[in-house]
Amino acid sequence: MIRYFSNLGRGFVSLIKGLVVTFKNIFSPIITLQYPKEKQAMTARYRGLVDLRPDRCIICYQCVRICPTGCLAISHKVQEDKKRTLERFDYTMELCCFCGLCEQVCPKSAIYMNKLYEVTAYSRDKLHIDLLNPDKYAEWSNIVVK
Amino acid sequence: MVTLLDVIIRVLVGIAVLGFLAGSAMFLIWLERKVSAHIQNRYGPMRVGWHGVLQAVADAVKLLLKENIVPREADKLVWWLAPFFAVVPSVMAFAVVPFGKHIIVQDLNIGILYITAVTSICVLSVFMAGWGSNNKYAMLSAMRSAAQIISYEIPLTIAVVTVLMFANTLSMQGIVASQAHRWFIFHPSLALAFLIYMISATAEVNRTPFDISEAESELVAGFHTEYSGMKFAMFFIGEYTNVFIVSAIATTLFLGGWQGPLLPSPIWFLAKTYTLVFVLMWVRWTFPRVRIDQLMGFAWKVLTPIALANLAIAGLLLLK
Repeated sequence: MIRYFSNLGRGFVSLIKGLVVTFKNIFSPIITLQYPKEKQAMTARYRGLVDLRPDRCIICYQCVRICPTGCLAISHKVQEDKKRTLERFDYTMELCCFCGLCEQVCPKSAIYMNKLYEVTAYSRDKLHIDLLNPDKYAEWSNIVVK
Repeated sequence: MVTLLDVIIRVLVGIAVLGFLAGSAMFLIWLERKVSAHIQNRYGPMRVGWHGVLQAVADAVKLLLKENIVPREADKLVWWLAPFFAVVPSVMAFAVVPFGKHIIVQDLNIGILYITAVTSICVLSVFMAGWGSNNKYAMLSAMRSAAQIISYEIPLTIAVVTVLMFANTLSMQGIVASQAHRWFIFHPSLALAFLIYMISATAEVNRTPFDISEAESELVAGFHTEYSGMKFAMFFIGEYTNVFIVSAIATTLFLGGWQGPLLPSPIWFLAKTYTLVFVLMWVRWTFPRVRIDQLMGFAWKVLTPIALANLAIAGLLLLK
């Protein structure tokens, strides 16, 4: 009989404790984001799409050579003063495995991986990206960070 | 002599009650989603209207447009009738709920008895849905639900009887009037009755922690697994109307009904009722589901003996 009532009492107290926890949570700050409107900032080491700072590139072809899927393609031309300039820097995103080796191997940090993660396209040719075009990621980079 | 005007007034009152019921059910669905979201540190619906208030309307429109699927081997008549049995008793119970000093459809002299009788029909809808669907999950859910609702009806009714002993009347307005000096919840014996009533009512309306008839992890969606479209919506409306009804009855029986200072009586009634509804939601999003043996054990070994003892003590208190 005593155990019956003490069980009931202890059960009741534990239920009240649970209710207090949830009641406090009603007024605690919300931790989710309103996703398409607010987006989470990516971490420093996040590997998004391959991007290029063309003025830093010394055309050493190391990124092309190390790329395991062969998704990068460079062509250059030599001017009269023997200076080399980039002609094309193509990036085939559908082949890219986002390994980040090109970023690691680049001696001048010209090639790097940006923070874009919402990358979908309606047609396949949109995935063939010309890295020399400054507006290449314009339609994907409207990220608002909270 | 019933004149045409009388008929028109009755019809208008009926339309008003149905409108209130649908609006209330939609508001409660929105409130439930918001309360659950905030308890879990989420936003909940935010897109449709201000903070998602119109979400329930959007859902209703979606459900109206959905295809109505009938299982091939269903018991057609029972299958078709079940959703109506879910909504109609709840609507009938509204007839005697005192919303304010003079706002009551019909103050029957057996009001609370009428409500107890009418709301017990709800279990039929669950069982009909389970039987008619010809689905093993629905059938299991219906059996569980019938056992659960009938078990919990006993402590619930005993708790109501305890109140009636103090009120000396079965009329809803009479019960409210007898609490003019002191609400019944402030009486120790009736405070216990209030607790028993709220626990049993939670089980009656099949809400967590007593929602074994809708246990998703075991029974898909329980008795309404096979229902779609408007029929599913009717079960949903019935469920939320029942939540409102049990809170309204608890307000009337224990919290002094529409009585309160300053503000008009309907506002007091709705404020108290929605507070109780909030408590039911708060409980739902706090506690896990109990097992079926725990559920039946709690009804028969804990609630019923305590309710009976409480009834006897209340009788002794009234004797002196």
